Amino acid sequence: MSADLNFARLRSDGAASIRTRAAIPPTVLMSLLVVLVVVLWSLFPSVFTGYSPVNGDTGSKLDSPSLQHWFGTDYLGRDQYARVVYGTASSVTSALVAVAIGLVAGSAIGLASGFRGGWLDATLGRFVDVLLAIPGFLLAVVIVSSLGFQTINAAIATGVSAVAVFARLMRAEVIRVRRSTFVEASYLEGGNRLQALLTHVLPNAYRPVLVLAVLQFGTSILVIASLAFLGYGDPPPSSDWGLLVASGKTYVTAPWLVYAPALVIVATVLSINRISRWLRNPS
Amino acid sequence: MSSGYGRFALARAGQAAVVVLLAYVLTFLVISVLPGDAITNSLRDPQSGLSEADIQRIVSYYGLDQPVLVQLALSLGRFLTGELGFSLQSNLAVSQIVGDALPSTLTLASTALFIAVAFAVAIAYGAHYAPPRWAGILRCIPSFFLSVPNFVIGLVLIELFAFRLHSFTTTDPNSATATLFAAVTLAIPVSAPLAEVLIAGLDHESRQEYALVARSRGLTGAQLFARHLVKPSALPSVAMIALIVGELLGGSVITETIFGRDGIGTVVQKAVTGEDQPVLQAVVSLSAVVFVAVNLAADLLTPLLDPRVNVREAANA
Amino acid sequence: MPESHVPPLLAVDGLHVSYGRKEVVRDVGFRLDRGGSLALIGESGSGKSTIAKAVLRLLQPSEASVTGSVRLDGKEVLAVPERQFRPLRGRQLGFIPQDPGSALNPVRTIGAQAHEAAALTGERDPGARRRMILEALEQVGLPDPVRVFDSYPHQLSGGMLQRVLIALTVLPRPSLIVADEPTSALDVTVQKLILDLLGDLRKELDIGLLLITHDLAIAAERTETLVVLKDGAVQEQGPSAQVFAAPRTDYARELQADVPALNPGRYRSQRLDVALKEPRDVPQEFPQESATADRPVQVSVTGITKRFQTRGKEVRAVDGVSFAVERGRTHALVGESGSGKTTAVRLLLGLEQPDSGTIAVGGQSTAGLSRAGIRDVRRHLQLVYQNPFISLDPTWRVGRIVREPLDRFGVGTTADRADQVRDALQSVGLPADVVDRRPGQLSGGQRQRVAIARALVVRPDVVVLDEPTSALDVTVQAGILELLARLQRELGLAYVFVSHDLALVRQVADTVSVLRSGQVVEQGTVDQVFDQPRHPYTRALLDAIPGTTGLQSPTGTAPDIQETPKLAEASL
Repeated sequence: MSADLNFARLRSDGAASIRTRAAIPPTVLMSLLVVLVVVLWSLFPSVFTGYSPVNGDTGSKLDSPSLQHWFGTDYLGRDQYARVVYGTASSVTSALVAVAIGLVAGSAIGLASGFRGGWLDATLGRFVDVLLAIPGFLLAVVIVSSLGFQTINAAIATGVSAVAVFARLMRAEVIRVRRSTFVEASYLEGGNRLQALLTHVLPNAYRPVLVLAVLQFGTSILVIASLAFLGYGDPPPSSDWGLLVASGKTYVTAPWLVYAPALVIVATVLSINRISRWLRNPS
Repeated sequence: MSSGYGRFALARAGQAAVVVLLAYVLTFLVISVLPGDAITNSLRDPQSGLSEADIQRIVSYYGLDQPVLVQLALSLGRFLTGELGFSLQSNLAVSQIVGDALPSTLTLASTALFIAVAFAVAIAYGAHYAPPRWAGILRCIPSFFLSVPNFVIGLVLIELFAFRLHSFTTTDPNSATATLFAAVTLAIPVSAPLAEVLIAGLDHESRQEYALVARSRGLTGAQLFARHLVKPSALPSVAMIALIVGELLGGSVITETIFGRDGIGTVVQKAVTGEDQPVLQAVVSLSAVVFVAVNLAADLLTPLLDPRVNVREAANA
Repeated sequence: MPESHVPPLLAVDGLHVSYGRKEVVRDVGFRLDRGGSLALIGESGSGKSTIAKAVLRLLQPSEASVTGSVRLDGKEVLAVPERQFRPLRGRQLGFIPQDPGSALNPVRTIGAQAHEAAALTGERDPGARRRMILEALEQVGLPDPVRVFDSYPHQLSGGMLQRVLIALTVLPRPSLIVADEPTSALDVTVQKLILDLLGDLRKELDIGLLLITHDLAIAAERTETLVVLKDGAVQEQGPSAQVFAAPRTDYARELQADVPALNPGRYRSQRLDVALKEPRDVPQEFPQESATADRPVQVSVTGITKRFQTRGKEVRAVDGVSFAVERGRTHALVGESGSGKTTAVRLLLGLEQPDSGTIAVGGQSTAGLSRAGIRDVRRHLQLVYQNPFISLDPTWRVGRIVREPLDRFGVGTTADRADQVRDALQSVGLPADVVDRRPGQLSGGQRQRVAIARALVVRPDVVVLDEPTSALDVTVQAGILELLARLQRELGLAYVFVSHDLALVRQVADTVSVLRSGQVVEQGTVDQVFDQPRHPYTRALLDAIPGTTGLQSPTGTAPDIQETPKLAEASL
C-alpha cells in the first residue's frame, strides 16, 4: 500500500500507446461517474446532505442505516453519510497534494537524470535508490511524525514517499525517447538539446508518467487513509475517511460505521484504478 | 565469467553499502532537522518521569548540546559498530526492543510472503489457463485487491472469522489461526502487483515466436507452461522481491495494530506516538538494510538465472 | 495439375480465416504433392502467414476463426480435436519460423529444446537422443555441434540459429515443412546458404515444402508451384516457370515487374542519363543538367577510420574508407550486417567523429568546423532513414515534421515555410491534406515519402539514403525508387545510397563501394563491379542474389552475371 510497486506494475504493461478515439467501455464510464460524484462531494458537500457532520442528534445514537440516515449514525448521533461527504474534501485534496509533490519532484529528478546523464544521473540515481530503500509506508510514517500529526503533513509525507517511483519512470521514459531515431533526426536538422527535450522528448515521455499519476492518486488515497487510521491525520471532529473507519471499529455492534466509509474508499480507488488502466491500454 | 561475476558482485555490494549509509543519514536528517521536534522536547515532558541526571546523561550520549552534524556523526559511528542506542520512553536498549519484536514480525511477514506468492501464481495461472469467463474475472482481481485498504481487509476478516465464525479470538493474537488471518491481511495488497507482473509476463512470453515454435513441436499447454513460459515470465518478479519485502515491513505497522500483535510494526507505532526517535531511527534504518540486502541478493541472482544478462554491462548499469 | 489416385500431401480448399469481423483469408485453395514444393507469395497484409498458421493450426481459436478444409495425406485435419491433431505436430508437420533470433527460448539451452524435437522420434533413451541431435546439427553444417548444443540462443548468430531450427525441424523426419519467411531476417549470402541447405535436405529426405515469402525471386527459384496472394485471396497460381515468365493477372505482372533482380532495366531507365534523351520529362523550372558538363564533387570521403572498444577488444568498424559522389550521381555503399556501412554513414553525417581521415561536403572539409559551420554543412546534407516507422515523431503532425528543418535552420518567413512544406509534399506525391495527419495514420510508403519531403524541404545538395526501401513492400519500394529517380533528375541531387540489396544497387547507382568488415573490398562503376567482380566477396554477394540462377527473365535474357565458385567458408 505504498507507491513503490507502482513502477513495476506500469513497466509490466509496456509503454503506453497513443490513445485512439474509441468508445468508452461501460466500466470506465461507471468509474468516471464515481469519481465525478466524489469530486462533487468535496466541492459542494452541503448540496448532498442536509445533516451536519459535527452536531449529532443525541436521540438517535448508533442507528442502523435507514432512509433518513443512509449510512446510519455514530455514537454521538451524527449522520455517517454526512460525515463521509464532508470528509471527502480533505481526503481528496490531500491525495492531490501528494500526487502533485511526487509528480513535480519526481519528474524533475527523472528528467534531469535521464536527459543529462553522466555524473548528474549517477548522483540523482543514488538519491532515488536511497528513497526507495526505505519502505514507502515507513518513510511516510517517519516524515509525518517529524512534521506533526495533520492531514496536510500526511499528504506531504505520502508525496515524498512517491518521488522515487515518478523519478524512475520518468528517467526510463526519457532515456527510451532520447535514444529514438526521430530525436537523432531532429539533431541532424540543426536542433539543439533543449529544443529536442521540449518538443520531442517530453511529449513522447509524459504519457506513462501521467498514467502513473492517476494510479498514484488512488494509492495516495489509500496511504493517507491508512495514516489517518493510525491517527496521524487531523484529529476528530474532522472526518477523513480513514479516521471514520478507525473510530467506527470500536463499535462492534454498529459495523456500518466501518463498512460505509470503507466502501466509499474501495469504490473510489477501484474507479481510479480502472481509469488508469483504460488510459494505459484503451480497450 | 567467474572473475567478471566477482567484479560485478563486488561493485553491487559496494553500491548497496553506500545506499544503506545514505538511507541512515536521510532518516536521521528527517527526524532531527525537519520542523516539529527535537529529542529534547520529549525529554522535558514531565510525564517522561526522567530525573535531571537521566536527562543530562541522554543529552551527552546523543550529543544533543552539539551541532546536528556532530550528532549525526556520533549516531552513524555507533550504528556502524552495531550500537542502536536507548529508547527515550523505556530506557531499554533499542537492540533489545527490536530483538523482542522481531520474531513475531518475521513469522507474520514470511507467512504473508508465502501466501502472497501462492495467491499471485494461482491468479496468474488461472488468468491464463482457466476458461475465458473465469480468466476474465481473475484478471480483475489484482485491481480489486489493490483498491481495498489493508486495514479494511483486516477489520472484515476479524468481523467475519473472529466475531461471527469464532475461528480465532483477538485476545490471543499469536495463535496459529490468528497469525494466518493477519498474514492474509498483509498478503492481499502485496499479491496483487505480483500477480499483475506475472500475468503480463505470461501474456508477453506466450506471444513470442518461440512459444509458437514449441507448440508446433506438439507440446501441450501444460508442457509449454512448465518448460518454456514459467521461467522467463517469472524473471521480472525476481527484481520486485525487495519491493515486496519493503511493502510487507510497511504493511506490518497497520496489520499488527489491528490484530493486536506485538511486533516491529507496533514498535514503530509506539515510537511515533511517543516521539521515541532513537527507536524510530533504528527500525527504519534496519528496514533499509533488509531492503538493500534482499535487493542485492536479487541483483546477484539475476545473471545466474537469466543467461542473457551480461554481468559486465550490468556492473556499469 | 493432374489428379492421381494418391491423395496430395497437402490439400487446402475453401479456406477462410477471420480475426473478429475482419476476413483476412478468403476462399484459398491449393495442392502440394508429396516431396513437392509450393510458395505462397504476397506482400504484407496478403494473408500468407495466416494461411501457414491455419494449416499448422497455430491460430488461437479465441482470436481467429478458421473454416474450410485442410487435408494432410487425404485426412481432414482442420476439424479434428486438438488431441488427435497434436501427434501430427512436429512428426508430420514441421515449422520453420521467420525470425530465428526469437524462435528459440532465450533462457534455455539449445540442447534442452532440441530434446523436445528428438523426443518426437519416439526415442526414449536420453543418450541416444543426444547423439541424434548432435548428428542433426552436424548435418546442417554447424561446425561444432557440442558447443552449439550447450549454447544459449543469444550466443549464436542468426544464420547459425536458422540452421539449428532446420536441424530440429527435420530431425523427426516430417513429411511437410512449412517455412514462414525463413531467411528474411538474414544477410543475403547467409540466405543463399540456408536456402541451399533446405533444398538439399528436402531432396535427401523427400520432404514437402510450403514456403511463405514476399520475395518473388526466391519463390520462383526455389519452388515448383507459385500461389500469388493479395488481400487474402489467390490472384494466380500455377507452375513457377509459367507464373513467373508469363504472369496472367495484373497484380502478378506488377509484382514481377517491381523485383529489381528480375528486371535489370526497371529503374535504370528513369535515371538522369537515360532521361536526358527525352527532355520533355524534365520540368522547365529546373535548370537542365548537361551530361557533358563538369560535375562538382559534392561529397568526398578520404581514408576515414573509426575504432570502437568492445569487451576490451578494439574493433575497426570503419577502416580506411574513401569514396566520392558527384552532383546528380548516386554512389552506393553495399555490405551485409557488420560491414561498417552504418558507421560510415554516421561519420558522414557527423553523428560520430572519425579517428582519422577527412570528410568534405560541397568542397568544404568538416574537420575543425565550429558548431555553426557544422549546422551549415548539415543543411546541405540530408538523411532519409531506413525505417519510417521510427524516424518520424509519432506525436507530431506531418506539416510540422516536414517544417522542422526550416524552423531549426531559420529559413524564410512563416508564410514561406508553409509554402515550402506544401511544395515538398507535392513533389513527393502526397496530397495536401496530409499536413494535418500524424504518422500513425499513414502507410509505410506514405511515411517514407514524408521523410523524403522533410529531407528535401531545405534544398540540400546531398541526400543520404540509408536502406530507404528495405522496410517496405516491393510494389511500394517501386514507387519510392521512381520518386527518388525523378527528384534526382529534377534537382540534380547527389545520393549516397546504402543497401544490402545488390540487385537494387545495380539499377539505382552509378558507382559502388563494396564493404566488408569496415574495409572497401571493391570499388568502381556499377558496370565494372557487377560485370567483372574482382574480389571473391563481391562474387559471393552477386551469386547470392535470388533469381539469378536457373531462371530466365521474362524477356528471355538471363541477367548477365557470371557463374562464380561458391565461397569456401560459410560466412555465418
